[in-house]
Amino acid sequence: MSMPSSFALQQALRKSFQHLETNQKTWHSVLAECNPLVGSVGNLAQQLRALSNVNISNTPLKAFPDLQERLHFKLVQALDIVLEKLNEKLVLLQSVRDSNSNHVTAAFQLYERNADTLDLYACTQRSPVAPSIADMLEWLQNAELYYKQQFLKRKTLLHSLRPDDLSLLESTPKRWDSLETLSGEEYITDTLFRVSFFVESHKGE
Amino acid sequence: MSLRVLTQDSADRGSQRCRMGLGLMSTHGLNLGSPLLVSIARGTCLCTAWPRSDLTEGFIQIDLKCVSPNLIVQPSLKLSLGPSQLTPLTCSKLRHIKVTVVVQSVDFRKNTPLHIINELVKDMMKGVYVWKKHVINVEDWDAEIKYVVVEEVSPDCADAGLVTAKTSVDLVGTQTQRHFQRQLRDQPVDPLGGLDEVCASLREMLELPLLYPGTLSSLGVSCPRGVLLAGPPGVGKTQLVRRVVGEVGASLVVVRGPEVVGSRPGESEEALRAVFARARAEADEGPCVLFLDEVDSLCPRRTGSSAPENRVVAQLLTLMDGMNQSDRFVIVGATNQPDSLDPALRRPGRFDREVIIGAPTLQQRKAILGVLCERMPVAPSVDMAELAQRTVGYVGADLGALCREAAMCAIRQDAQRSGGQEIDMSHFQQAVKTVLPSCLRSSLGRTDLSPVSWEQIGGLQDVKLKLIQSIEWPVKHPDAFMRLGLSRPRGVLLYGPPGCAKTTLVRAAAAASHCSFLSVSGADLYSPYVGDSERALAQLFQQARACTPCILFLDEIDTLIGSRCGSQSPNSVQTRLLSVLLNELDGVGFKTLERRGTERVLQAEGKLDYQEVCNKDVMIIAATNRPDSLDSALLRPGRLDQIIYVPPPDREARLAILRVCTGTMPIDDDVYLEELAAKTELYSGADLEKLCKEAALLTLQDEGMGACSIKHTNFLKSLDTMSPSLTAQQIHTYQTPLS
Repeated sequence: MSMPSSFALQQALRKSFQHLETNQKTWHSVLAECNPLVGSVGNLAQQLRALSNVNISNTPLKAFPDLQERLHFKLVQALDIVLEKLNEKLVLLQSVRDSNSNHVTAAFQLYERNADTLDLYACTQRSPVAPSIADMLEWLQNAELYYKQQFLKRKTLLHSLRPDDLSLLESTPKRWDSLETLSGEEYITDTLFRVSFFVESHKGE
Repeated sequence: MSLRVLTQDSADRGSQRCRMGLGLMSTHGLNLGSPLLVSIARGTCLCTAWPRSDLTEGFIQIDLKCVSPNLIVQPSLKLSLGPSQLTPLTCSKLRHIKVTVVVQSVDFRKNTPLHIINELVKDMMKGVYVWKKHVINVEDWDAEIKYVVVEEVSPDCADAGLVTAKTSVDLVGTQTQRHFQRQLRDQPVDPLGGLDEVCASLREMLELPLLYPGTLSSLGVSCPRGVLLAGPPGVGKTQLVRRVVGEVGASLVVVRGPEVVGSRPGESEEALRAVFARARAEADEGPCVLFLDEVDSLCPRRTGSSAPENRVVAQLLTLMDGMNQSDRFVIVGATNQPDSLDPALRRPGRFDREVIIGAPTLQQRKAILGVLCERMPVAPSVDMAELAQRTVGYVGADLGALCREAAMCAIRQDAQRSGGQEIDMSHFQQAVKTVLPSCLRSSLGRTDLSPVSWEQIGGLQDVKLKLIQSIEWPVKHPDAFMRLGLSRPRGVLLYGPPGCAKTTLVRAAAAASHCSFLSVSGADLYSPYVGDSERALAQLFQQARACTPCILFLDEIDTLIGSRCGSQSPNSVQTRLLSVLLNELDGVGFKTLERRGTERVLQAEGKLDYQEVCNKDVMIIAATNRPDSLDSALLRPGRLDQIIYVPPPDREARLAILRVCTGTMPIDDDVYLEELAAKTELYSGADLEKLCKEAALLTLQDEGMGACSIKHTNFLKSLDTMSPSLTAQQIHTYQTPLS
């Protein structure tokens, strides 16, 4: 095993894990910002439902002309604004995903370039302070896949929304929450713990 | 060294990893994440190599993310793999791929714009190694998109490659999951023999409106919407539909009669409407066939009362009428009793065409046998043409059973002597004995006769020759008959004194000609109900025609069929049976439902063709010992035109009969059969047989149970006690020509 290539790879891995950590934080903060927005989508949907159920000509409000249409327009407009904001957040999530993905790909490409000089057995050697290179590459890939899947699910959820499908809109907050899988998040956190010695140990060097 | 296949870890789902030991990786020259192709049972799977986390050897775990299509349907992994089943690949980055997307629901397919699907697919495919024509399983993404079928990759010098962010993904089309899975399942189409002509006509009918609706509408004609398949059970109606549907690539909605019938009023109609709605939804995705199997149970003839079936029939009629031009599906009904269908169903606009599939003819049987035996290790000595001749009256299902039985025979034999696994003619011959033709099942004249050879009948040489000429020759050598312009006789009448081997002669003729053989007696035909006997006789002829060449034997015809000129009342059962028989013998034609194969013009193509074209008639053999009481209309040429007198045996014939009868007996050297033959004037064949039996019994009586040979004196003794059953007077009446 030639030392320089192995060292470079370890450096790249270390960098990737550091990025993963920051990415995880950003991801969390963006999701936290999304939650109120998604909640308001649900609220607006309920209001739209209530509007469609009420017959305004039977209420004291019948003096106002076109009230139903106006209210409907207003609600839909509000919905549009919320969805617009959500879309912006989605772009943020996408950038997190992409930067994560880029780092993982870069690390992997570095490995592939040097694969011939790296010994397969050395790559799977574990030590008390550092996991093997194979393990770390695998964890990185898993994390990448997790973020890709998470992003795609949220994107498809938002894309499937249509103003005329009220029940779908109403159930949006619940479905948004259900997308967050505890095990997936835990996996990332676990991974970061597992590599923490490895990341910390060489920081000073 | 073989590798044990373990199920994959849940964390590896969708990662395309193939976990194996480090040693295996290094012997194959694999690095972390190198692509490799794993060949499993009937397909291949593209994976990336990863070491197992516990680094042990001898195990392999495969993620079936990118697999060949047949593994999607049956992802059955073998329990072990050899290392040679792993092939390392070098994959380049792809510039361009073309994919078909399989989505779960119709709604998603309709409502989602293509560019969004494209974006999603691109995200999903990034970083995946793909192989041309493989299917990428993306079920673990929990999205509406379930599978991605890789149609083309470019640069197309390689079959495999890596999809990167720079790869452009081109969407060829979308499919729903149900459609996709059905297509996969339908791929292996069972071959079907002998139905090529029917198949082609049905295919044309399905293909024209389904694939070229524009052409027909520009011609200003409406396409046919319904086909009714009629034919006896087991000829392959259902299989034909499945085959044609598979070939055309249409989807199939099957309705079995009892499934839609519910207990509550209105339930059946609702189920029927739901079925039509389903067919309509399927038709949106592509050509679709609605198949009503056993349509006679669903749609029986309506009766006057307001039976619940009437409403189902009415619903079906209105649904079939309600199909408008935009519904792109075709209805196919199958039945074996088209006459019990409601007549309103059988008109253009509902079932436009009726295709009749009869019991297979000789050539069709040969084709069916060829298809069935294709995948069986059949010895080259097996002659399909001969087997087809022997299996008169067998339908496709019977022939399938025959082949299975023959294979079973071969297996049983092989288990005993562990020889080569080949099925030869002897196995088929055994199977023919156990598998009976279903055309003749439940037929009243079906007889299981033990074959008799001509040699077992002593004497009567010229009668035998006449019988061979009129029965065996036309069946076996139709080409010679055609060449000389001979037509085969329609019927043969054997008459003569009782006990002179008339019935045995017929048995020998039937055994020699390999025809199906029906024998009918008075007990079969008589019934206390008016008209029942006549119907039974007509049905018998119908069944006989379904399995031609066929011999119909009417023993003691004088008691079965009366004479119109005699003393009997003109309306007795016998005279009515006579009129049925006369009609069946040369009526104007037969029912359309009895059609078999297609009408063929004879071209001198070979012997089989001659046999198929010429042997379409049922041959009647009648036997009687009272020829004078038969109706004269029966005896004219064209009906029972070959009239053969079976005389009582003369001296030489008696000698031959005695030789045959004593063939199995241990007789002394002093037994002088010529003397016995001379002394037995007026003895019939049956008498002579009795004579021999008596002599043997006398021997046992005299010498005890230990006797081992019969002496001449015993024959003479038994001759003294017997008297001939025939009289000279009787014989004289037979010998006067029939008036």
